[in-house]
Amino acid sequence: MKSFLATFKNDHWVMPYLRRYRRLLVLVLFLGFMTFFCGAALMFNSGYLISRAATHPYNILMIYVPIVLARAFGIGRPAFRYAERLTSHNWVLRIVSDFRKRLYQSVERQAVAIRQNHQTGDVLSILAEDIDHIENLYLRTVFPLVIGWLLYLFVVLGIGYFNWAFGLLMLLLLGVIVVVMPLISVSANGRREFQARQVQRTFYTQLTDAVLGLGDWLISGRRQDFLAQQDQPIDQIADLRRADHHFQWWRNLAIELVFGAAIILIVWWAGLTFTHSQAQANWVAAFGLALFPTIEPFADMSQGVSEWPVYRESIRRVNHLDDQPVKHVEQKTIGTLTDLTVDHVAFTYPGSDRQVIADLSLTLHPGEKLALLGPSGTGKSTLLKLILGDATPQKGTVTLNGVGIDHLQEQRPQLFGVLDQQPYLFDTTVMNNVRLGNLNATDDQVRAALKAVALDDLIERLPAGLETQVHEAGSRFSGGERQRLSLARILLQDAPVIILDEPTVSLDPITERDLLDTVFRVLKDKTIIWVTHHLAGIDHVDQVRFIEDGRFDMQGTPAELYRNNPRFQALYNLDRGQK
Amino acid sequence: MIDQRVFKFPGVKPAAAIAAVLTLIQAVMIILQAVYLSAAIVHLWHQQAIGTIVQPLAVFAVTFLARHLLTIMKSRTLYPFVEQTTKTLRKQFMGKLFDLGPQVVAQNGTGNVVTMGLEGIDKIQTYLMMIIGKVLDLSLTPWLVLIYIATIRWQAAVFLLAIYPLIILFMVILGLAAQAKADRQYAGYQRLSNHFVDTLRGLPTLKQLGLNERYADNVYHVSEDYRKKTMATLTIAMTSTFALDFFTTLSIAIIAVFLGFGLMDNTLQLLPALIILTLAPDYFAPIRNFANDYHATLNGKNALTAVLDILQQPVPKDRNLLPEKAPVWTAGDELCFDRVSVAYGDAETTLTDLSFKVKGFEKVGIIGASGSGKSTLINTLGGFLSPQAGTIQVRGTQVPHLDQTSWRQSFVYIPQAPYLFHASLRDNLAFYHPQAGLAAIETAAKRAGLSDWIATLPAGLDTAIGEGARGVSGGQAQRIALARAFLDDRRRVLLFDEPTAHLDIETEIELKQAMMPVFDNHLVFFATHRLHWMNEMDYILVMDHGRIVEQGTPTELAQQNGAYVRLRAEMGGGVKP
Repeated sequence: MKSFLATFKNDHWVMPYLRRYRRLLVLVLFLGFMTFFCGAALMFNSGYLISRAATHPYNILMIYVPIVLARAFGIGRPAFRYAERLTSHNWVLRIVSDFRKRLYQSVERQAVAIRQNHQTGDVLSILAEDIDHIENLYLRTVFPLVIGWLLYLFVVLGIGYFNWAFGLLMLLLLGVIVVVMPLISVSANGRREFQARQVQRTFYTQLTDAVLGLGDWLISGRRQDFLAQQDQPIDQIADLRRADHHFQWWRNLAIELVFGAAIILIVWWAGLTFTHSQAQANWVAAFGLALFPTIEPFADMSQGVSEWPVYRESIRRVNHLDDQPVKHVEQKTIGTLTDLTVDHVAFTYPGSDRQVIADLSLTLHPGEKLALLGPSGTGKSTLLKLILGDATPQKGTVTLNGVGIDHLQEQRPQLFGVLDQQPYLFDTTVMNNVRLGNLNATDDQVRAALKAVALDDLIERLPAGLETQVHEAGSRFSGGERQRLSLARILLQDAPVIILDEPTVSLDPITERDLLDTVFRVLKDKTIIWVTHHLAGIDHVDQVRFIEDGRFDMQGTPAELYRNNPRFQALYNLDRGQK
Repeated sequence: MIDQRVFKFPGVKPAAAIAAVLTLIQAVMIILQAVYLSAAIVHLWHQQAIGTIVQPLAVFAVTFLARHLLTIMKSRTLYPFVEQTTKTLRKQFMGKLFDLGPQVVAQNGTGNVVTMGLEGIDKIQTYLMMIIGKVLDLSLTPWLVLIYIATIRWQAAVFLLAIYPLIILFMVILGLAAQAKADRQYAGYQRLSNHFVDTLRGLPTLKQLGLNERYADNVYHVSEDYRKKTMATLTIAMTSTFALDFFTTLSIAIIAVFLGFGLMDNTLQLLPALIILTLAPDYFAPIRNFANDYHATLNGKNALTAVLDILQQPVPKDRNLLPEKAPVWTAGDELCFDRVSVAYGDAETTLTDLSFKVKGFEKVGIIGASGSGKSTLINTLGGFLSPQAGTIQVRGTQVPHLDQTSWRQSFVYIPQAPYLFHASLRDNLAFYHPQAGLAAIETAAKRAGLSDWIATLPAGLDTAIGEGARGVSGGQAQRIALARAFLDDRRRVLLFDEPTAHLDIETEIELKQAMMPVFDNHLVFFATHRLHWMNEMDYILVMDHGRIVEQGTPTELAQQNGAYVRLRAEMGGGVKP
């Protein structure tokens, strides 16, 4: 219970929506209640109807009301159920729309932090799944539980109306089904759920390992080892499932037994209460049969609640997302760029003791082109983060026209264009993707940009031209084509500084050279900072700097370095295929 | 209704037979329970003393208990079969993966294969557990109940029997309509539900373009769009459930009214009427349960199809044609491809008419632009792909493909990103040779240039690496793969597929220094587009659009002034003068 309250203490993902859409919520609960009410009322009414008919009333009109009611309840139950299901799904999907927007906004604010702490793909899928979980929390746990309690209340009050003592007995007896059993379920399942998660995770890791490393397994020829490795988690999963099933069987039996006892007690009580006249005795069958249709909603409560531990994790995770504070910095704007200055910056990632950048300084003026080289892990990408303001240096400053980059975050899209290793193409048309660079661009401007990056021929050959779908993550296009599409986007964006973060890393040399030629041709007026892992196309820049251990190591124009620096010379030759 | 494939699993028939007997007994209990409860109520209706209902209520209690105990007994009868089948399926699935190799993963996608092995088989378990029990209920309980009702009032039984096909008919009609609509919208659904993750992944790009804040509304609108489409389909899907619900509930209401009339006419007594009324819901219960879990069954059915599809794929034959020999490859051995063609997947991975011959410990460079078939050739050499035409001769033995057990034990494969297992560094190093001693592993690590790095690791060789554990840089991963080759001396063939494409130039040079010594006494196939490696090769295959357009020693090729020279020029490096 404590953990239940703790989950909701700082909740701003579940409760606020229950409040905001409370009218629809009340409607859903009402419809749900009416469904089962009609079910019970049908049996109650029918029991009375045939008992009354068995007394041979002299006129059909004497049982006319129960006859009409039988039909009404008979139609009412499915109709309410239908309405309830539609309303609840509509309600939940409406909330999901809100959730998605909010999750998007939270992730957007936290984008940098999330990227530092998790592997991106994972965390995003998990968060998207969390939303599905919260969706199910409403449909499978909250609604059945509240509707069940309403029904419980109704039954107890209905009986209490005739006899409060017996009503109290029912309160306790059915309370076992609607309160005690769900609590037992949630605590039993909470423990198992924890184990299950661990086993599942082990199996998942091993299975992924096995699938991704299948080639190596094959080469190793270790078939027995391969199979033996999976045996343990397979058995463990089977054990957990078995325990889970056994628990469910016996729990359901317990629920049925309590329920059976309740029916016997009701019949007994009805026998004691309603036997003073024939008119009273007609009610015995009504009470005896009415409880049967309620078993389904009552039994569902425990099952719904037992899924709570899964949902709890999700609620915690999304709530935690907003916990991380966001610092607000006053925003300024600058006019035409005159200089970009990096002044003695130093940077260490939080929680790490290795200083990635020790002391770096550089100044760029409009139109200058700089290449940054160095072994991986030496801080090239980190320097880019500092320049863009995605990370803040512990020492030193990054300024544009003398204004700190942290003050320019709002203006950033107008100042920087970025082409990285895997530019993202959205699952929409070519036209829409390119136009993301400048939403006000005309169709002609988009076409001109595509022509500039030499994609016009390719696009023309596509079945739907500019309206062709790029498919998920741009899978319709090759790596080089994707880079060109993003480059067209950057052209429309028309920012003065362009950051190139190893844009050619996965391309073959011919594609690479073509792309670099295009990049430097169309961006000849821009200031360019280019991080690269080798020397292909290095002649395009007027300044080369090597980073080693967080400092600049060699620097100069490519021609100077080639003449004066033997190391650069050796690398250059090697890159061109010479010893 | 029930999948025939379910009956092919071993052990299903005895389990189902026992469960069927239990279901029959249970149906009897359901009838007795209704009879005795009704009897008790009728006693009370006759205003008899409370003591008269003790006996019928006691029987009711016993039969009620028996009915629900039988549910557990049924589950316990079926569960061992289901558990065993699921376990077997999982193990067979893993075994099949090993037998079919990476190609099956490539065809189905890594994510799909993992999901199949994990959640897919879970769904099959749920499916098996559900389907047998529910089908038995459906095919026994209602009819026993109906027969009993017929013995006490045949008119009611006729009505119940007549309504049954009507329910099924409406369910089918509406179900089909929903299915058709769902199918039409499915593609759109997928797109919309992927849109969200798509957007989250694209956030950095949106941020670079300054669209991140504006895009939030787009997320909302797309989601709302999704809601409206979903609701449209759900409305139809739920109509099907509604029809079922409507007919069953209304049938009970009609039965009650009919019975009322019968009682008024005095053609019927209260006891039989009450029994029929109590039994009517139980007559409909099995079909309702079945319909409620219809979607879960559908998921299970699809999962079963997917898993069986993989399990039924034929395992390549003729895997033991190449005789065992240690080491498999020696200085005098020859490998000869004669007009070999490989077709696989899309056009990019097709090889046509490859012929070449290598001998002993030659170093063979494979060069060509992206998509020229370099990787496909390496995969064919590793036996991961089988040729459709042509002949391959290894050590004088003609084989249809290189998927040969003894060939597998002769090579080490080093791709662009060698896979590192989620295990200790030591296990990763000794992966091909798990019996290797500590000293041997340390020597191999040293020769691959890993010693300095290992010294910085908290637990040395026992440090866990791989996904989710300590990160390993691209260069180090290559060295680990290289150490595997150093460690297992029986493996004398090295297959490299673009091992340095993503490394920075300085790391590449360091790696090259570590790599060169292992080239000695090994047959090397080296696919790359990094030109400087060509200087280390004895023989070069130049590939273009799946064909070998030129082959020879580097000197020969330089003199020929053909494809090789052109390619080098295009790739940005002239030939050494």
